[in-house]
Amino acid sequence: MAQYDLDRFSVLVVEDNLFIRSLIGNSLKTLGVGRLFTCEDGGDAINFLKLVKEDPMKAGTMSIDIIVSDWQMSPVDGMMLLRWVRRHKDSTDRFIPFIMITAFSESERVAEARELGVTEFLSKPFSIEAVWKKIISVIDRPRQFVHTSTYFGPDRRRQQIPFDGPDRRVLTEKSPEVEIIHG
Amino acid sequence: MAEAADKPKVKVRFYRFHNRLKEKAAGAAGYKGTGEIPAELLAKAEEALEQMSEDYPDWVSKLVDRLGDQHRRCVDTPEKRRTYFEELRSIAHDMRGQGGTFGYPLISEMAESLYQFTGPSSGMSDNHVEIIKAHVDAMRVVIKNRIKGDGGEMGTQLMKSLHAAIKKYEGRG
Repeated sequence: MAQYDLDRFSVLVVEDNLFIRSLIGNSLKTLGVGRLFTCEDGGDAINFLKLVKEDPMKAGTMSIDIIVSDWQMSPVDGMMLLRWVRRHKDSTDRFIPFIMITAFSESERVAEARELGVTEFLSKPFSIEAVWKKIISVIDRPRQFVHTSTYFGPDRRRQQIPFDGPDRRVLTEKSPEVEIIHG
Repeated sequence: MAEAADKPKVKVRFYRFHNRLKEKAAGAAGYKGTGEIPAELLAKAEEALEQMSEDYPDWVSKLVDRLGDQHRRCVDTPEKRRTYFEELRSIAHDMRGQGGTFGYPLISEMAESLYQFTGPSSGMSDNHVEIIKAHVDAMRVVIKNRIKGDGGEMGTQLMKSLHAAIKKYEGRG
């Protein structure tokens, strides 16, 4: 097993609560993350991501590798930020791993974030172990991105589970309606 | 161009990229296995969290003071209760997400309850304001006595008396 060195990573933390923001920031720095950027809400984060695209020198980084964002923030919350990152034409990297911090346990809200293309969830209260497990998962188990008329984001099917019933999927990888893009 | 016309429209696109992050983290190109963060860094991070946990009661007592201020305003200026309730709810939201992380799940539990009592559809009668006060008082006890975890017997008693206060004032509408 390799030991990861996160020194070349740039992580953006978006959290309105100062205490939690410094907690996540400190934890990531101690885990070896080289460059850490913080924003206080989704709007702030969108402006920062635009700056990275337009003037990386001024932003202090050429790119962001992972976004860790709180869900409930004001005025622009984590969901709106996620939507912007995945769908907006000005988005710098629509494929960027997005870890959503959530205090909600209601399953429909989690489903809502999945539909918008979230990569991982980190639920409050969290431990250091939980934080690094999410980071490791982002690095070790990236999922292909799926683009259909109704969805854009990481493949929501995380694993191949054998299924006895009939396969009702209309399209397969070989279908002419399916295009696979490698990069 | 006949071929292009016959070709069905693409409905699904799969994007498969090489793992750039893994290259950054592991260094070696083409590295296939899984990785981990060095144990000593994890230990350090745990230690830093521990350190922050020690500061947490001081931090949270400021928030409880703010809750206390808002409660007083609810008493002094009843016509502006909606605004104060919103502020209370926003502070409670912050607190419910923090307490557990720093070893104070009772604070999270009480903040969650306060959050529910200050929602847009909650009542705003004097009895509701008393319920808010019961929450603030209970939180003060937790912080003053540094009651970590579930607080054992004391924690149970504290939650019991908070629930009793809620029941008492709720019954009065």
